Amino acid sequence: MNDKILNTLKELRAYALQRKAEVSISIHAEDSHLMRFANSAISLNTNEMLIRLEITAFEGRRRAGYEMITDLEDMAKLKQGVDHAVEMAHLAQPLTYEPSIPVYTTDFLDESGYDAALANLANAERLDFFNQVSKGLETNELKLSGIISNGTNTLAMINTRSEHWQYFLFTDCQVTSVLAHSTLKWEVSAEQSAQKKSELKPSAMHDRLEKLVDLYQKGKPEQLPLGNYDIVFGSAAIGAWLEYIVYIGLDGGEMKRGNTFLLEKDLGQKKFSSRFTLLDNPTRLETFPFRRDFTGIERKLFPIVENGVFKSFVWGQDDADEFAANPTGHTVMHLSLEVKTGQKPVNSLDELLAMPRDKDILYIPYIHYIGLVNPTEGILTGSSRFGALLLKKDGTVAIPYNVRVTESLLTLFGEGIEWLSSVSEPYNVSRSYGARNPTSIIVPRFMRVNNLEISHSNSSY
Amino acid sequence: MLDQIKQEIDRLKSRGATYADARWYPAEDSEQLVMVNGNLKANESSNQSGIGIRVLYKGAWGFSAASDVNNLPAIFDSAFDNAKIAAERVTFPVRLAEKEALQATFTSPSKEDPTKVPLSEKVAFLSDMDHKLDQPGVIQRYGILNFDKKKTIFVDSEGSQIEKNITEVFAFLQVSALDKAGVMQSRTFRLNRTGLTRGWESIDPVFFTQQCERIVSELNQLLVAGDCPKEIGSVILKPGQMYLQTHETIGHALELDRILGYELAFAGGSFVTLDDFGKLRYGSEKLTVRADATVPNSPGSFGFDDDGIPAQNNLLIDKGILVGAINGRQMVEEANAKARRPIFQGSSGANRATAFYRVPIERMTNIDIDAGHDGTLDDIVRNTENGIVLDGDRSWSIGSNREQFHFGTEMGWLVKDGKITDVVKNSTYQGDTLKFWNSLTAVGDESTWEVVYVSNCGKGQPNQVMQLGHGIPVCRFDNVRIGE
Repeated sequence: MNDKILNTLKELRAYALQRKAEVSISIHAEDSHLMRFANSAISLNTNEMLIRLEITAFEGRRRAGYEMITDLEDMAKLKQGVDHAVEMAHLAQPLTYEPSIPVYTTDFLDESGYDAALANLANAERLDFFNQVSKGLETNELKLSGIISNGTNTLAMINTRSEHWQYFLFTDCQVTSVLAHSTLKWEVSAEQSAQKKSELKPSAMHDRLEKLVDLYQKGKPEQLPLGNYDIVFGSAAIGAWLEYIVYIGLDGGEMKRGNTFLLEKDLGQKKFSSRFTLLDNPTRLETFPFRRDFTGIERKLFPIVENGVFKSFVWGQDDADEFAANPTGHTVMHLSLEVKTGQKPVNSLDELLAMPRDKDILYIPYIHYIGLVNPTEGILTGSSRFGALLLKKDGTVAIPYNVRVTESLLTLFGEGIEWLSSVSEPYNVSRSYGARNPTSIIVPRFMRVNNLEISHSNSSY
Repeated sequence: MLDQIKQEIDRLKSRGATYADARWYPAEDSEQLVMVNGNLKANESSNQSGIGIRVLYKGAWGFSAASDVNNLPAIFDSAFDNAKIAAERVTFPVRLAEKEALQATFTSPSKEDPTKVPLSEKVAFLSDMDHKLDQPGVIQRYGILNFDKKKTIFVDSEGSQIEKNITEVFAFLQVSALDKAGVMQSRTFRLNRTGLTRGWESIDPVFFTQQCERIVSELNQLLVAGDCPKEIGSVILKPGQMYLQTHETIGHALELDRILGYELAFAGGSFVTLDDFGKLRYGSEKLTVRADATVPNSPGSFGFDDDGIPAQNNLLIDKGILVGAINGRQMVEEANAKARRPIFQGSSGANRATAFYRVPIERMTNIDIDAGHDGTLDDIVRNTENGIVLDGDRSWSIGSNREQFHFGTEMGWLVKDGKITDVVKNSTYQGDTLKFWNSLTAVGDESTWEVVYVSNCGKGQPNQVMQLGHGIPVCRFDNVRIGE
């Protein structure tokens, strides 16, 4: 535990109490490292050490937030931040509801997600990882791209309602490797998510890339006719679709505002395939979980969809305050989503290729650039990318140019699900806009959905 | 501090760095106010300070940034160490295009500092707009004000020292309601360029009141409208959608780092190749596009980029032919060498970072389309047999090489035999980029040309959000797939 962070919080709390202010204060310290590859070289090697101090001030129904990206040495400046937040709250317009201020009843320290070996991953180790991933695969035409991004997050919080604090420390790593043909413009990829260094497996990434490169070099690219296809989505594609379920389906506040495709009347109803079970599972370290939310609620396994039946919305504290709902322990930076596996013993690319098939099947490992066509009907659109394959009925494999899928989430995870893999893996959906917020979704390695429409088909890459 | 930065740059040069620069942010102040249905849901401000160091060593970049600047030598050393390991895997050693070392300042045009306006006045404005939006038919009301004021100082090992003081104002109003089918319909107003300055004076209550009335009226039209038909026809894009079409299928496609494969792991590539410059017919002869960072008053006008290159106005597409790209010092050198011909005459000054803790990359400035000679919006409608006028971006999804796209818009007006007939909802269109731009058959005159701001353009790893602008007229495209 970083005493400097905790002591700073305590001193700022004491200062706020002294001036009779109601505040909650958090410090987010991130130590981020990212090595980026392009054209088979390291195109960027970067690290950032950032400290964010966030102060929320309350005055009855008035509320204000002030964030400083700063250092912790200048206490006078930090106290000015408290003053500024308090002043803003005083000038704010009252909310129509009373915002809750959390009361922590005990100190809470969670460092279970921290791995010193990953936190201290050296530049040379990052380079060595990628050298192993790409060994023997790069040519004059096949160029390596990708990233290895690892970091350490420290998040600590306290408020004026009690002297207790919460402190989270965890490590994360996201790896993406791409081999792209410089003139033909096709791309294949492999990805990994890790919470500890021992989970990094360069050989697995190498083997996947090698297999896909072989298929792409031998296969003939073709433009698929428009129409309906049975599609096997890879873990990246499943994860990408699922991210949107959170945004436009599960959030209680957004439901109340009319922005979701799932409604209050859908609770307890069968809305998805019987094969689809989705939970928020903060016991899985691979999801970089918060085991308490930021209001102090203990986070437990939380069913969202069970065998197709919609079980619950998730409620953060502020929306729960506004709509008089019960908070569900979801005042966190990210959920810990897990899709339960199925029974199908198809858990690798080799097993997928070897699977007997009575018709052509389209394999889409990755969805690029999803757009929200119609949130209240759950309709999304996105294009295939990175190693799609057409597994033909006759046992051969063709290379499809990219295609576009425009469907509702109710269809993508609906009755058309034919099977889910029996093994799951974490798929890292982290973005690094703003504060570091590592996020992974645990998904089956493959999911077959029948009869989905291809609404656009490229004539080239 | 400045002296210490210069000493550190000199120290790295003496250790073997071929180039080094520092972007020091003494202070960046931001403010966001979000009012939802009368509730001030976000009343937030921020202050950030820190430094980002970029070092070139044996043809490879290293970068390091920190908010704690008390140990400056350690940050410079970290950047240098990052460059040294990167130098172990170099395929095309980084070279930087020549530039003039400048001692300069830039201050964006702003009359009234928005961060100095009392909070109570800003909240009162949002509250007033919220009351005006609270009309029959409306169930959700959003009002957002964003202000940003930053001072940055750029110093490099070539003798440049540039100070920038930039103020930005972004504003957003939206009304929404469920139609009879239970589908959420929305109309949105975003503050675009209304004058030659962009301080608090941009927030003109009279103008905003007019926009409130317009979006409420249009929302109520949408609530009783039919669905957009599925057909092949003409699409006439108003600036509220035309900006995004330009942004996604010209702007991003012509970023030189994408073209050279530097974004393949994430944002994607481009269908454009180096061979295409000077030859590719990107669009019809009516299409002339420029990257113009000299437009008065736009987030895409910033004085000097983060390589220290002055703002420029460069042609990208000349009467339909591809002639230029969005680029910085590194990429033009690499592109010219790989093409074995001088495609680019130096940097066009488009290398920018979103914050001190991010590295500069090729970003759009103001990617503008020249106004045409096909008259007003009414004239274009009058000369259209069968089509749809579209406005207000609602969804967007683009192919990974920017080769195809699918857009949804908030509002559609059907056009039959030169007249607007019906309002339609749930409008979409899609197409292939080159085919689409080559089907450009009408470009509106100056009366239709507007500068539209973009506050949330994402790119890069680590990810960066950038602000920019698009000056665009109303345009018509024929034989487009609509309504799917």
